[in-house]
Amino acid sequence: MTVTEPAPTSRFVRADGPDKVTGSGRYAADLTLTGVLQAAFRYADVTHGRITRLDVEPARSMPGVLAVLTAADVPDVRYGPFVADRTLFARDVVRFEGEIVAAVAATSAEIARRAAAAIVVEYEPLPIVNDVEAALAPDAPLVHADWASYGAADPIVRDRNDASYASITKGDADAAMADADIVLSSRYVADASHAAPIEPRAVLAQWEGDKVTIWSSTQVPFDARAGVCETLGLPANRVRIIVPHLGGGFGGKCGFHVEAHVAALARAARRPVRLVFTRREEFVVPDRRREGMVVELTTGLRGDGTIVARTGRVIIDNGAYTADSGFFSQLAAMHVAGPYRIPHLHVEAHLVYTNHQPSGSVRAPTAPQACWALESHTDELAAAAGLDPVEFRRRNVVDTGSEGPSGQTYDEIGLRRCVDAATAAAGYGRDLPDDEAIGVAVGWWPSFTAASGAFVKIDGDGSAQIVTGAQECGTGAVMTLRQLAADELGMSPDDFQLVYQDTSVAPYDMGATGSQTLFNNGRAVVHAAGQVAEQLKRLAADHLEAAPDDIVLADGQASVAGTPSRTVSIAELAGIAAGGELLIGHGSGAPPSAPALVGSSCVGDVGMAAFVAPQFSCHAVHVKVDRDTGVVRVLGVSAAHDSGTIINQIGARGQVEGGVMMGIGQALTEGTRYDDAGRQRNPAMLEYKLQTCADAPPIHIDFVEIPTPDAGPRGAKGLAEAPNVPTAAAIANAVAQVVGRPVRQLPMTAERVWNTLTGEDGVS
Amino acid sequence: MSLLIATTVDDALAAMAAGARPIAGGSDLVVGARHGKAPLPDSLVAIDRIAELRALDVDTSGAVRIGAGVSHHLIESHPVLVERFSALADAAALVGSPSTRHVGTIGGNVMNASPAMDTGAPLVVLGASVELRAVTGSRTMPIGELWIGPGRTAASPDELCVAVHLPAPASRCGSAYVRLEYRRAMEIAVVGAAASVTLAADGTVTSVHAALTAVAPTIIAVAGLEHLAGATVAEAAVAVGDAARQQATPISDVRASDRYRRHTIAVMAQRAVDAAARRAAGERVPVPVNRALGIGAATGGPS
Ligand SMILES: Cc1cc2nc3c(=O)[nH]c(=O)nc-3n(C[C@H](O)[C@H](O)[C@H](O)COP(=O)(O)OP(=O)(O)OC[C@H]3O[C@@H](n4cnc5c(N)ncnc54)[C@H](O)[C@@H]3O)c2cc1C
Repeated sequence: MTVTEPAPTSRFVRADGPDKVTGSGRYAADLTLTGVLQAAFRYADVTHGRITRLDVEPARSMPGVLAVLTAADVPDVRYGPFVADRTLFARDVVRFEGEIVAAVAATSAEIARRAAAAIVVEYEPLPIVNDVEAALAPDAPLVHADWASYGAADPIVRDRNDASYASITKGDADAAMADADIVLSSRYVADASHAAPIEPRAVLAQWEGDKVTIWSSTQVPFDARAGVCETLGLPANRVRIIVPHLGGGFGGKCGFHVEAHVAALARAARRPVRLVFTRREEFVVPDRRREGMVVELTTGLRGDGTIVARTGRVIIDNGAYTADSGFFSQLAAMHVAGPYRIPHLHVEAHLVYTNHQPSGSVRAPTAPQACWALESHTDELAAAAGLDPVEFRRRNVVDTGSEGPSGQTYDEIGLRRCVDAATAAAGYGRDLPDDEAIGVAVGWWPSFTAASGAFVKIDGDGSAQIVTGAQECGTGAVMTLRQLAADELGMSPDDFQLVYQDTSVAPYDMGATGSQTLFNNGRAVVHAAGQVAEQLKRLAADHLEAAPDDIVLADGQASVAGTPSRTVSIAELAGIAAGGELLIGHGSGAPPSAPALVGSSCVGDVGMAAFVAPQFSCHAVHVKVDRDTGVVRVLGVSAAHDSGTIINQIGARGQVEGGVMMGIGQALTEGTRYDDAGRQRNPAMLEYKLQTCADAPPIHIDFVEIPTPDAGPRGAKGLAEAPNVPTAAAIANAVAQVVGRPVRQLPMTAERVWNTLTGEDGVS
Repeated sequence: MSLLIATTVDDALAAMAAGARPIAGGSDLVVGARHGKAPLPDSLVAIDRIAELRALDVDTSGAVRIGAGVSHHLIESHPVLVERFSALADAAALVGSPSTRHVGTIGGNVMNASPAMDTGAPLVVLGASVELRAVTGSRTMPIGELWIGPGRTAASPDELCVAVHLPAPASRCGSAYVRLEYRRAMEIAVVGAAASVTLAADGTVTSVHAALTAVAPTIIAVAGLEHLAGATVAEAAVAVGDAARQQATPISDVRASDRYRRHTIAVMAQRAVDAAARRAAGERVPVPVNRALGIGAATGGPS
């Protein structure tokens, strides 16, 4: 792909902005249909138990109830993208508190809820697997007794409660460790956390004949469609998913969730059915929780602080089912290796079943926790080597031309430049009061390649449309597509309307996931617009009596290069085309291919050890610690990112600001707590403490822009997840400086910081 | 369900005599119902449009009558309260978010009787009394006697809280309320402490009062502080902190352990005394103290 200079963007108005800001925009829960019924679910009453009795009669006989469904009423399909361990409704065994046992559709939400509660379910209790480390013991009770009979994707390595094992090995870590001058081991534990989008999900389904239309607040409409098709046995062309405005997702609305349940209810009741989650349901039910994690690392150094070897073990809480988490083990292994030059490496990771809510991709899955552990460990290493932590990183991080831990050699990358920029902006090294410090961490994140498609058309009046499979989750990535098309066609972004979030009108896209929208769908739009540009150039060449190659498209005009007086407006050309060959482009384009790995071997290889268009970052965070209470306040964040070419500055800055705020929350206040049965103790906004606007510190942002070959349009990499990776780690390193040692549990709540300050954290 | 929108106190009292439950801002009642705490009552009387309840009057002696329907926003921004009853303004300024402070009322806060309510401890140290009225008559009691347990008051169901009364403070008296919070908005007190301090001309303490939030089934006054007359502010602060630690009977929950609460209540009490004394000495410590002094969470902006 050729790399060109980005077009300057003087202003950027999001097409969906006015709707959202004025409140005129419609979200899934705002929609209704004539005769609509309301749905409610009956959830498991125990976190692990065998159903011994299930009687839905009390619900069915309630006035106002039009449908009651259980596992007996839907096809017997086990599904899951990596391990087919899930069913729509509990079959025999329930494995977490949010497991759906039955669904009800009734004339009001109150009746539906009462009916769901009236269903009689009895259980034989099964032993609860609540501790992710104990679950790996050979005699631990099994979450899935029949695990061996489940279908699974080829590379997935499984054993009992271990749903996905991965290791990355390079060189001989044990031998190198034995020869190292300094060897240091650390252990860190991260709690689970949540995406917590502002909009709890809502689904509305309506059948017309044998076709169903489902309005859903999903980030991944095509994935949701695939789930409905698989579980209800329907071909793709009979299921249409439409997403109205989406009220955020952060990964929490990726995957396939409850669309099929609502569709099945609507079919059974012969009426449209609507489901709107409560905040509690949004916390407890979806298979999308940021995974809890235990990390143990040992690193060997030469006396001068050069890393010679690392071994590591990561244990990830998978929860009760394997949603999209199958790749977490290999990705977490990459993240505890980190963007460092490590000649001898052996890291392994286990994705372990428990009776908790299932884990799934939340913004940069596995990375913030793993980076927090690794970068805390790195500051401990620097201290052991007697080096300043930033100097230690400068000596050991990967950069242009160096070989990473999994044997990938990088083209031009900007990690050292990120370290320089972030530390300079933060004033790293200046004198601070003794309750303040600046912590530094580096992070990385791959760009994800996927097939993706779009159409671009210009109608007879010269107005244009982008019809895309891409999904807007609030990042502005889809909004930015207008800019790409406009630049390609010499038009203004305002000339384009977006038609998006409808699986029956647009070609496939993976959805608002994996920071991939601009990366992959941008390529599709550029291709589609390029076809239209060719058409316009041919038309203009005819009209202006010039060669197509001499036509330049700019400012809404087609002109002959070097002869600006010979010009025709694109609108006029569109009028001509309307009577003949229509202006329609379609695009997909070949995704960039995975880079080679040399000298490493991977078990459980799902392709996560080779980073396509890798993104790098460094955050330097200035904190103040209230020593009497352990409350940590973030005073300022300096974030530097190599995400390749930045196409939309405003959108890109918004992503970094949002990622940083989410990182501060994960660092300090956001963590899921479980009771003895594995139930969440804080599934509510008051007790699950997101950061607020009032908590936001000044955030300084630097983009180290390297137009990257084999990347997205114009040399762009992804950006939505990367800013969430190193913030918690940088905060941890600042806190550790004030406290005198690291806080070994995430989130580093005030009480945990205070326990560490007073030496009562149980860690010596 | 029935809802009567009352425009006079008498209408409201009549409705309550017939069994209706008052609703002011609804920020406890409705939110609680949505979270399954208790279903909405069958019969409600809205009291937010009663002018008498929305009035805030300062009399010539400097005493203040705050109508039960006065919002937290008015309290945090009222110059007399900010200047002379600062602990109450500190508390009101910390409630929820700007929108919570506009809908939430002081009457709703005290009648909801949560042990974590923010205006309670300030009202105790400011010597407030509460005026209750029913069709059968009215009565006034010291605010501390109102709360008898979590969510329980000494008022009978037909009694409307019409006002909170604050006596004029002595000269060289200052007050402050601080709370431990994990974030700077939409927070609930992990623990909190209010203090009022009167200083002698030489800067020693003439009297000190303190009250505690979220460390007992109700807001509690710290007992046994009389002996601190004549102490320096520093001595008094330490002594009040110690007393707070001893008198607290905190629980462990998802917000904090009892051990951490017992420790931090002493820190908050000490800081409240310190801030109150600075105000008593004439120093301008802006409302809320939490932001001004960086209590719990430090102030923003790189140093
Ligand atoms: C997002 C959010 C944040 C919050 N943050 C805080 C906080 O930081 N600190 C804090 O202390 N509180 C907080 N609250 C709780 C609540 O806002 C306050 O307690 C508020 O003062 C309640 O007032 P209200 O008028 O809304 O009460 P309502 O909900 O109307 O009433 C509360 C209770 O008092 C009764 N009642 C109301 N008025 C009277 C009266 N005049 N006479 C007799 N009974 C009456 C009602 O019947 C009901 O039982 C928060 C609430 C929300 C939703």
